[in-house]
Amino acid sequence: MVRYITPILATVVGVIMLINAINLPKSNLGNPNGPMYFPLLIAIILIISGIVYFFQEFKARGNDFADFRALRIGKSPLYLLVSLILMLTYTVLFERIGFLYSTILFLAGLLFLLNGRKKWMSNIIIAVAFSFVTWYAFGTLLQVSLP
Amino acid sequence: MGIDVQALLDGFLTTIQPMNLFWIALGGFLGTVVGMLPGLGPATAIALLIPITFGMEPTSALILMAAIYYGAMYGGSRSSILLNTPGDGSAIAATFDGYPMAQKGQAGQALAISAIASLIGGVIAVVGFIILAKPLASFALRFGPAEYFLLMVFTLSAIVALAKGQMVKGFISMCIGLMISTVGIDLQTGVYRFTMGNVHLSEGIDFLVVIIGIYAVGEVLYNFLSINKPVGEKKSVGKIWITKEQWKRSKWPIIRNGPIGFLIGVLPGAGGAIASMLSYSMEKQVSKHPEEFGEGAIEGLAAPESSNNAAAVGAFIPMLAMGIPGSGTTAVILGAIVMLGLKPGPLLFENNPDMVWTFINSMFIGNLFLVILNIALVGILVKILDTPPRVLYPVIMMLAFIGTYTLGYSTVDFLILIIFGFVGLFMKMLRFPVAPLILAVIVGSDMEQNFRMSLISYPNAIGILTASPITIALVLMTIISLGLPFFSSWLKKRKEQKNNSEAM
Repeated sequence: MVRYITPILATVVGVIMLINAINLPKSNLGNPNGPMYFPLLIAIILIISGIVYFFQEFKARGNDFADFRALRIGKSPLYLLVSLILMLTYTVLFERIGFLYSTILFLAGLLFLLNGRKKWMSNIIIAVAFSFVTWYAFGTLLQVSLP
Repeated sequence: MGIDVQALLDGFLTTIQPMNLFWIALGGFLGTVVGMLPGLGPATAIALLIPITFGMEPTSALILMAAIYYGAMYGGSRSSILLNTPGDGSAIAATFDGYPMAQKGQAGQALAISAIASLIGGVIAVVGFIILAKPLASFALRFGPAEYFLLMVFTLSAIVALAKGQMVKGFISMCIGLMISTVGIDLQTGVYRFTMGNVHLSEGIDFLVVIIGIYAVGEVLYNFLSINKPVGEKKSVGKIWITKEQWKRSKWPIIRNGPIGFLIGVLPGAGGAIASMLSYSMEKQVSKHPEEFGEGAIEGLAAPESSNNAAAVGAFIPMLAMGIPGSGTTAVILGAIVMLGLKPGPLLFENNPDMVWTFINSMFIGNLFLVILNIALVGILVKILDTPPRVLYPVIMMLAFIGTYTLGYSTVDFLILIIFGFVGLFMKMLRFPVAPLILAVIVGSDMEQNFRMSLISYPNAIGILTASPITIALVLMTIISLGLPFFSSWLKKRKEQKNNSEAM
């Protein structure tokens, strides 16, 4: 079943785009339908591709479908899930507590996740050192204002 | 027409200014470092290092990005040879004979020949660039909206067709890219499209965020899946040198494959990966020792290394002369230099000759610098391979976020980055080609504008297709590029059937 998800998703996205394109507001300038043409064309190509892809997958249904196996092996799902949580937390914290603290937390989080708890000392040193170096490089050398 | 010697000399003088030399050295070094990290190639290297170019002169920025590009190509070959882990598609061919050479204790020779082949390939291509770029730019002056629209259609179809056996996936990937390019206020009419009521999206989705998301975050997440796998065993490098005998064997393969790689690089869609694969198989066919290929044949390393570096230089021609990137990596560079206020296209050669010639000269010097860097400092560079990926990937992830923030100073972009990071991850897992998406995101908006401008001159699609001899040629080229994979698989099937019936 898993192998049909992507083709169905592609087709559904195509249909949604088609409906949205048809319902785009008419333009008061130039050709009233001008903004619609290109999205309509993309939607049609996407729907056709999605359907063809579905049939290709249907034809190959007897073959081994290994593409998603990686998601179930070992710690992979954990790595991805925790990374996602860390990224979202970083997004929320970035402007609230400032670049330096949020980056140290984000980097330390990722390092503890991947590098393990046993290497806590080096994880903390790397997180702090890299955050400071980038903070200095961007803030002072490249003159990019960071929160 | 032809070569403007004075401009070439002026460009050389600008290139050797200390600051420009510094950018070449920095780009070459950083590119090599990122390119060496397993799984990360030139496109990721550039996407990640884009923030460095902020506030720079466009010329210096272009020099820096080109240096990162070929630096990463050199770096990719280092990890191919030493770890059997190519940085990206164009470094795959270097694993075929480069890694066996390293296994046999010839790592030093393999690294030396790869560097020399890359240098010669690069230099051959720069000469080709000097000869071909300006005539192509003059030709492009004859292009109107219809021609540009169809050229973009051809470029996209070529890149989709090259996703071997996965054309449908290529089309889907392309459609996603084109969809992203339609988000925001319509440039011609001011109508809001697909913004979902979000003010931030009214200016559209920044393609650089998409690129950093897919290439940097997506690649890192994808590498998380295999982070526990042991990497190939690294042999000691030893002295970097080649014997007279080895030079004799690799000399002609290097010289032969430079021009081939260059021409493939110029073609839209075909990049270093195709150039190096083609050179490898061609060299195997003409070799006196085809049985040694795959076992550590020096020609098998020299040919693709010369070819892929030449292709990297060739790929800059359509990008600069016509504003059409031919590959994912040049698309990233194009995106970055457009952001810096440059408008690549035929007029670039008229309006900014100094910039173009400085850039050409920088490629000469950059390639030379990289050989010195790779031969003299290889001991230090190889140490980078000892750094555990478990430490490097978090740092790369952090750089991707900072790079994104510097593009728009908004954390809303972080959400877009995360979404496209996961899009990139799933595309890699499902073996969807990424290049069509990236190319479509970048040319999408221009493509639409040219399409609608052509609709003003020609009332229907047929009119656009037959507007001029150039449009007719482009339509035919598009049909051929899309039809070729079907034709070749039909030929293959027929051949198999014939063989089967003969065997019976």
